[in-house]
Amino acid sequence: MSSQVAALVATHLSDRRRSVLAWGLPLGLMSAFIVAIFPSVQGALSNAIEKYPSGLKEAFGIGELSNVEQYLHAEMLSLIVPLAAGYLAVRAVASGLSGAAESGRLDVLLSAPVSRSRLCAAGFLATAVELAAVLVVTALLTGLGSLLSGAGLAVGSAAAGFASVWPLALLFAGLGIVASGFSLRTSVVTGSVAGVLVAMYVVNLVGKLDPGLSGVRYFSVFKYYGNAIEDGIEPLAFGGITLVAALLAAIGAWLFKRRDISA
Amino acid sequence: MAESMRAMPVIETDGLTKLYGNARGIEDVTIAVEAGEVFGFLGPNGAGKTTTIRTLLNLIHPSSGMAQIFGLDSQRDSVAIRARLGNLPGDFGYGREASGREAVGLLARLRGMESLGRAEALAERFRADLDRPLGQLSRGNRQKIGLILATFHEPELLILDEPTGGLDPLMQEEFLALVAEERERGCAVFISSHDLDEVQRVCDRVGIVRNGKLIAVERMADLLGKARRKIIVRLSDSSGLTELQDLKGVSDLQVDGDRVIFQAAGDIDAVIKALAAHHVVDLEAVHPSLEEVFLGYYREEGDG
Repeated sequence: MSSQVAALVATHLSDRRRSVLAWGLPLGLMSAFIVAIFPSVQGALSNAIEKYPSGLKEAFGIGELSNVEQYLHAEMLSLIVPLAAGYLAVRAVASGLSGAAESGRLDVLLSAPVSRSRLCAAGFLATAVELAAVLVVTALLTGLGSLLSGAGLAVGSAAAGFASVWPLALLFAGLGIVASGFSLRTSVVTGSVAGVLVAMYVVNLVGKLDPGLSGVRYFSVFKYYGNAIEDGIEPLAFGGITLVAALLAAIGAWLFKRRDISA
Repeated sequence: MAESMRAMPVIETDGLTKLYGNARGIEDVTIAVEAGEVFGFLGPNGAGKTTTIRTLLNLIHPSSGMAQIFGLDSQRDSVAIRARLGNLPGDFGYGREASGREAVGLLARLRGMESLGRAEALAERFRADLDRPLGQLSRGNRQKIGLILATFHEPELLILDEPTGGLDPLMQEEFLALVAEERERGCAVFISSHDLDEVQRVCDRVGIVRNGKLIAVERMADLLGKARRKIIVRLSDSSGLTELQDLKGVSDLQVDGDRVIFQAAGDIDAVIKALAAHHVVDLEAVHPSLEEVFLGYYREEGDG
């Protein structure tokens, strides 16, 4: 990594240091609560889940809730954590581009001998680190919840579950850079990419509910997200999504390099 | 370095044009700024000053025309160019939470510097607080930080867009002194401004821009020389002074008791000689403000 990119990443992380706790704490406490209550609700849940339509269970990734890992996946890792992390990713990457343009900082940075591609690369890398930090905080608090409640959450499984969110969320950081190639208004960038995030989730859901529409799932990253807490990380999916995220970031940097940055 | 810099203009544009669809940007801007020269870029808000600067800095891409800085292409070699210049953007901002020191620190690292250069000395000179978050500073104090960011690394070219906005008169003086020192150092300074007084005091040449077009480039002295001066003469006897009316460059002659007031343009040798035939009690030549010069150019263009 060049010293310029390292300096930009360090500044980005310093600027956004509070977001690690602002996002990691609520997500972690919520996950910890879910894990902590599992021993007391386990029996009732299993009975209730048995009565759910099988299509619905499959659509929402709810299998048997016979262990805490399945419960954590159903309650947090199948919906809330990936959506929150995806939104955080686009917010984080936008802060370094459209946010910097709105504050005037982008003009100052681009007065220095730094290329726009490096600015984009730094934003992407810093977002990757920030996401990882948020997921680590979330996972640690979840583990603490398990430890205190005696829920028996398997450390390796939980780590895989939270780690699998990272490439998925990073893909939306890549999309955020693409969006910055078209607009330098933070509301437009975050709004449009958040829309894509929700749309991808819905498309995946519809594809699961209606076998006739299962083909549309190929357009959603959630198809490849899987259930790492139970099945382990699928290296191809993990690497593939990360690669697509990096590719999107590169396309975004190309677009960003060619756009005008007006006052 | 100064010798090599004098070999070619520091800034050179030829037919530089930026169009925004049907909206006006800049059109056919051709200028050359030499090393050690302070060049004022004058025009009202919306005239195209900032668009020109942003095009030079490769923040926006020209529709046509050429721009070179240090002999390098402003688009292709933008990174290499920016290594050698300092820029104060118009309406300077950097976010609310970072301090000036953090901003200088980041720019120093991006420039490959191991220290903050002369940032501390400049902060002391401008009485700028480098340690308070920028969001807590007044506009003038933020502007001081912007000036420090533009100059702390001793660039070869300074591009300053409305540099004195928000500065108090004392700091404006300090700024003008700094610009003069930078010129002495061999640095070229490109100042965009609508503060005509500051430009008059510090610039060697000015370009006047209106509606996106450069309508004149003049040496400051020539510009002021061409302009009409208001001359107020008090005579012991003002009778028989009507011959002044016939002199070249004299207009608007008024006699008010012992006072004679008129406008004189260009060489005033003939005026002085005509006055010498009388007993002159007092003489005052009021130089036009650049605003009057500026308005004159606008009027001329309108008439044309």
